[in-house]
Amino acid sequence: MLDDVDLTCEAGEIHALVGENGAGKSTLAAIAAGEIAADAGTIERSGRIGLVHQHFALIDRLRVWENVVLGHEPQRGGAIDRGSARAFVRELGERYGLDVDPEAVVETLPVGIRQRVELLRELARDPGILILDEPTAALSPSEVERLFGTIALLTQRGVGVLVITHKLDEVFAHARRVTVLRRGRVVEERPISATTREGVARAMIGGEIPAIPAHEPTHGAIAVRVAGLAVPGAIENLSLQIATGEILGIAGVEGNGQSALADALAGLTAFRGTIERPHSIGVIPQDRLLEAVIPNWSLLENVMLGREHATSAKASWRIDRAAARAQCTAIVERFDVRAASIDAPLSTLSGGNQQKLVVGRALVDNPAFVIAYNPTRGIDIGATATVHTELLAARNRGAAILLISFELDELFALSDRILVMTRGALRGEFSERRFDREAIGRLMVSA
Amino acid sequence: MTLSLVLSLLALALVRGTPILLAALGGVLSERAGIVNIALEGEMTAGAFAAALLSYFTRDPWIGAIGGVAVGAAVGFALGFAATRWRVDQIVAGMGINLICTGGAAFGLIYVFNQAGVTPQVPAINQALWPMVVLGIALAAALQWAIARTPIGLRLRACGENPHAARAAGIDPLAVRLYASAIAGGLAGLGGVFLALGELNLYSDGMIAGRGFIALAAVIFGRWTPIGAAGVALIFGLLEALQFALQGNIAWLPSDFLQALPYIAALLALLGASGRYRPPAAEGKPYP
Amino acid sequence: MNRESAKALAIGTFGVAAAMSLAMIASHVSPIVGFNAFFYGAFGGKQEIAETLASTTALLFPALGIAIAFRAGLFNIGAEGQLLIGGLLAGWIGTRIDVPPAIAIAAIFLAGAIGGALWGAIAGWLKAARDANEVISTLMLNFIAASLALYLVTGPLRAPDAAGPELSLLPHAYWLPTLLSHTRATIALPIALLAAFALRYVLDSTWFGYRLRAAGEAPEAARRAGISLSRVALWAMAWSGALAGMGGAALVAGELHRFNTQLSPGYGFIAIAVALVGGLEPLTICIAALAFGALESGGLALQAAAAVPKDAIHVIEGLLVFALAARRYLGARGAGAR
Repeated sequence: MLDDVDLTCEAGEIHALVGENGAGKSTLAAIAAGEIAADAGTIERSGRIGLVHQHFALIDRLRVWENVVLGHEPQRGGAIDRGSARAFVRELGERYGLDVDPEAVVETLPVGIRQRVELLRELARDPGILILDEPTAALSPSEVERLFGTIALLTQRGVGVLVITHKLDEVFAHARRVTVLRRGRVVEERPISATTREGVARAMIGGEIPAIPAHEPTHGAIAVRVAGLAVPGAIENLSLQIATGEILGIAGVEGNGQSALADALAGLTAFRGTIERPHSIGVIPQDRLLEAVIPNWSLLENVMLGREHATSAKASWRIDRAAARAQCTAIVERFDVRAASIDAPLSTLSGGNQQKLVVGRALVDNPAFVIAYNPTRGIDIGATATVHTELLAARNRGAAILLISFELDELFALSDRILVMTRGALRGEFSERRFDREAIGRLMVSA
Repeated sequence: MTLSLVLSLLALALVRGTPILLAALGGVLSERAGIVNIALEGEMTAGAFAAALLSYFTRDPWIGAIGGVAVGAAVGFALGFAATRWRVDQIVAGMGINLICTGGAAFGLIYVFNQAGVTPQVPAINQALWPMVVLGIALAAALQWAIARTPIGLRLRACGENPHAARAAGIDPLAVRLYASAIAGGLAGLGGVFLALGELNLYSDGMIAGRGFIALAAVIFGRWTPIGAAGVALIFGLLEALQFALQGNIAWLPSDFLQALPYIAALLALLGASGRYRPPAAEGKPYP
Repeated sequence: MNRESAKALAIGTFGVAAAMSLAMIASHVSPIVGFNAFFYGAFGGKQEIAETLASTTALLFPALGIAIAFRAGLFNIGAEGQLLIGGLLAGWIGTRIDVPPAIAIAAIFLAGAIGGALWGAIAGWLKAARDANEVISTLMLNFIAASLALYLVTGPLRAPDAAGPELSLLPHAYWLPTLLSHTRATIALPIALLAAFALRYVLDSTWFGYRLRAAGEAPEAARRAGISLSRVALWAMAWSGALAGMGGAALVAGELHRFNTQLSPGYGFIAIAVALVGGLEPLTICIAALAFGALESGGLALQAAAAVPKDAIHVIEGLLVFALAARRYLGARGAGAR
């Protein structure tokens, strides 16, 4: 995973660790924080190293203060001194600009607030170094600014902060030094002042970024019509339309009703209002391992999932193995899925290849409507390019595509039109590929 | 119905409910730490048999009682050890333990006493029956407080909800789960002691009669809280007591129906309370 | 067979042998004498082999049923109750119809399947409609089944010729033909083997089996692929109960020739061990059922010939299940040593 990596983070500096997905950044962070052991090498630290995880390692059903004081609880007479625990959390929050209600149960909090809780938990232990793993992945632009404000406060107090990211904007706006990791090796380490954005990008990828095909207008008739959609607790009175040959991008911060929208359109949740959509639909779910595939099963059996009619000669009760094999082979070839065999367990594939199979499965039957939810989250740049190319190809064939993504760059690259989703409603409309990053960012956090 | 009848019914309910209550408290403890405890039945059996055996040989029922708790705890430790160090499937391992304990007790009866089915009469602690009932209820209250309010309780909950986060906070989830499972076994063993030496003065095959499983149901219906589980256990006790009180008194009600009453009640409760039971998030999942 | 399961099998066999030796020594029996009695009891002659095959059959039906439920991700602990209700319905139908024997036997098996399926479907419906924990519901249904059967045979269905909690004897023509004359090995065994092959085909080659496995392996992915988890839960539990119920019918028509509430000495529980030891694969379950059948009948012989209590066998079965639960660990250790 990692090979002969040297990395130094000094007190009071912001150090960026960048690299592609799968380059070994998270592994390095876990080793530095002592969560997993390295085969060889040493770690010297002054003070504790705290780690804020990409997928927050909080205990969802405990209260904020319980999460923060776990393992070092203030006590009085054998019981936890809850009063001073709450006061401690409040005080810590005030000092670093991380205000949270200590009594709130974590699972009721939105993602941005949960990150504050995780930060508080690490700060409560007075770290010398704080590692933040992809801290901005699920934050709105204003929350990102706020986070870097907190980080600046920390560095003023002498804490060294290592930020793991693949967003070069943030690196160049805030970091003092940058280390580039590629395939488990350090390929570059230098002060920000001595590098350029293009240089860092090239170092990350080890070559040029693959190009994706150009957009050509193909708009046709309305294919998907949603009116007055309501999903209890998530969406109120939402309407949208998607034309054939159009990619409608939905921008927004995680947890603003996107999942409910996707589920309602896919027919997976109860809703009020009307949805008119083509019968043939392909879905790329948000969480690959949980929602899209069965990791222990072979590629072949995974390709059959949800495609019973496509795999059977008629609506038959019997599986047509020969047809299934032929289709699976076709998907593997067309979507460039690299696997030892179609009978190999899916878990033996890299994340990018798994995702290409998921995308292939969703698109191979040429559905008239496609729902793509963060279709490239957590996969490498090569696989991302394949996925983007195939989505555009589907659009150019006349499919209506709903693209929900937390990455503005992805939305800008693919969408014909962008709507912003906040608190279960759609706001703003940016069409004809005239996208205003600032305006979209403002809308993402508007009430 | 006279007042004295009601009182005697409630007294019977307490006596019938207490062994279920004790085992259910064990179940709450181990499940809150993240270990599914389907082995309560086996732990009760082991506790009851060991208590009768030791009481028979030492002629001291108190040694029997302590021995019963210790053997129950040892069985719980075995489940906890397999669950934490060997990362076994906890439901499968629990079923194995149940087979071993019931088979082992039956084997032991023949091996030690050279008779099938039942031990000879042994010295009992019938005089401690009511103190044990009170102890059970007091334990429920104490555990409720400990789980909600003490550092150890918070850490126990953390291990059952997210052992990785607990580990990151410097807690050893394996140790917490292991000891929780052992204490749970001890509590279930105490339930067995209550039956063998408190209510009766012997061990007989099948005397646990599914109480361990009823205790498991009490854990779920009590929403994994000690007070809740204790309350449900006592309701089961009341249903059992009703069965005695109504037997023969109501002509049109077949006695077999009365026998099935607690189980039918549990089934109806499952029916009525769908989706409202959320087990600890990491329950049954091996760590790491 | 892969290396891991071969290793687990070797460890299991060795463990069983060691545990049995210990039980024999504890009972003051030389293991040589003991194993001799055990193997003679299991395979020593026509009668002994027939007893082993009869136990095999009694375990195989419910074990296959349990495998269906477990593959669908449902911990069906209720095979015992499903077997009992199936046997009850089978034994009742058998005394009520007057048709040619072949049809009667088919009707008896069908009744067993329906009875078991209905009892299993209760838990399936509770799971599907109310998301009720199936471990608890099937356990409760076992107790309820026992009470219900007892009530019916001592009450409304009481037989004039009954000596205990039982129904009338089936007409002699409806008794299952034997494989070996004057033994309890009947054609129920080939029927069970047929069911195993059919189950394998269903699981591997039909969409019903595919949906069932998908729901068991990854419920969220299955749901999103349009598979109805509640429908799978209902049908998996019904089929699971149907097979257990056929086991009850086989016991009624093949061994006791009437329904008795003491029909099963816990076959439905031991079958859980059989299904797990068989890795939830129909054909390996057949082999596991034979091994457990031999343990049961050999254990009885051991008790008779060498005074080693039969209950020792249950301890051994428990140890087997426990070892099986740990096989991932044992297998992983093997892989580490390689």
